[in-house]
Amino acid sequence: MAHPSQLGFQDAASPVMEELLHFHDHTLMIVFLISTLVLYIIMAMVTTKLTNKFILDSQEIEIIWTLLPALILILIALPSLRILYLMDEVNDPHLTVKALGHQWYWSYEYTDYNNFGFDSYMVPTQDLTPGQFRLLDVDHRMVIPTESPVRVLITADDVLHSWAVPSLGIKMDAVPGRLNQTAFIVSRPGIYYGQCSEICGANHSFMPIVVEAIPLKHFENWSTLMLENS
Amino acid sequence: MLATRALSLIGKRAISTSVCVRGGHGVAKVEDYSLPAYFDRREIPLPDVAYVQALTPEQKTLKEKEKGSWAALSNAEKVALYRISFKESFAEMNQATSEWKSVVGGIMFFIGFTGLVVLWQRHYVYGPVPHTFDKEYKEMELQRMLDMRINPVQGFSAKWDYENNQWKK
Repeated sequence: MAHPSQLGFQDAASPVMEELLHFHDHTLMIVFLISTLVLYIIMAMVTTKLTNKFILDSQEIEIIWTLLPALILILIALPSLRILYLMDEVNDPHLTVKALGHQWYWSYEYTDYNNFGFDSYMVPTQDLTPGQFRLLDVDHRMVIPTESPVRVLITADDVLHSWAVPSLGIKMDAVPGRLNQTAFIVSRPGIYYGQCSEICGANHSFMPIVVEAIPLKHFENWSTLMLENS
Repeated sequence: MLATRALSLIGKRAISTSVCVRGGHGVAKVEDYSLPAYFDRREIPLPDVAYVQALTPEQKTLKEKEKGSWAALSNAEKVALYRISFKESFAEMNQATSEWKSVVGGIMFFIGFTGLVVLWQRHYVYGPVPHTFDKEYKEMELQRMLDMRINPVQGFSAKWDYENNQWKK
């Protein structure tokens, strides 16, 4: 989750998010350089005493300020496309989870081996146990094993929702009547928070997503427990 | 006047045009689609027309004297001739104004006013904040975030010294 006064991204918990962090650093540096140059030019224009406005035909600078932006755009596009194709690679997941968006909660179904599923409602503010995060914590988290490729199939039961977990670098729309697939690997154990990212009615801000990543051995304990309870 | 000045930015003119056509009492050939008008612009030093079009009798005699040797003109006469052709000198037209002080003052005033509006709203409009903003609750939240190792790489937990139970120096 975000920490107080945070300015940048949350720390990455998946390899894709790490790539996105580095790409953002690279692109932001380019943007800062361009903005600084433009700001300098504006300052120079405003304070200059020169008044010749009728310069024509300066081929050299025209070539430079055509080629240089093209080069910069290529320098941005190549890493971007690399990450795009990286995200789409064949990944042979160990586990498939289905996430369904409802008004106004998520439900998760684990149907690979045995069938079990559960609803995940936000904990209301008045029912928070001390230390729980307001508007973020849920009653049942989506639990997955660490360091295993996981496929999530996302859909919705009624209106558009969007399943997003920033620290894993995932956002995928939940469209009624459509299955959207995304995959991720969680690099380190922990609890990762996200919020519904497509306006879906009155409680759109109150249906968060919580992913809990635990080592595989403990995951199997958890799924056995859930199976017995359902 | 403003239209002429705007058009003179986009209209094509070379300085030589106004110089070579400037024959009698200054009306230049204007290449953009505007009537000749007077303007004081630093980057276009020679306006389409002279400032004073209707000369007084003294000015007319001065103009006749101008046709002779310029060394015979006194300084005052040269300045008078200048003032016939131009309204402001370069020094006068390039003078800074104090307008920026009014602008900054206005900005600060309105920001201050907005602050007062916000304070009023907080007092009269909004209800109390949730109990999760209490100091004790916040401390419990922070402890839980540290226990969960939130953002342990560079962000939050990375700055906590777990051995000595304090923030890293």
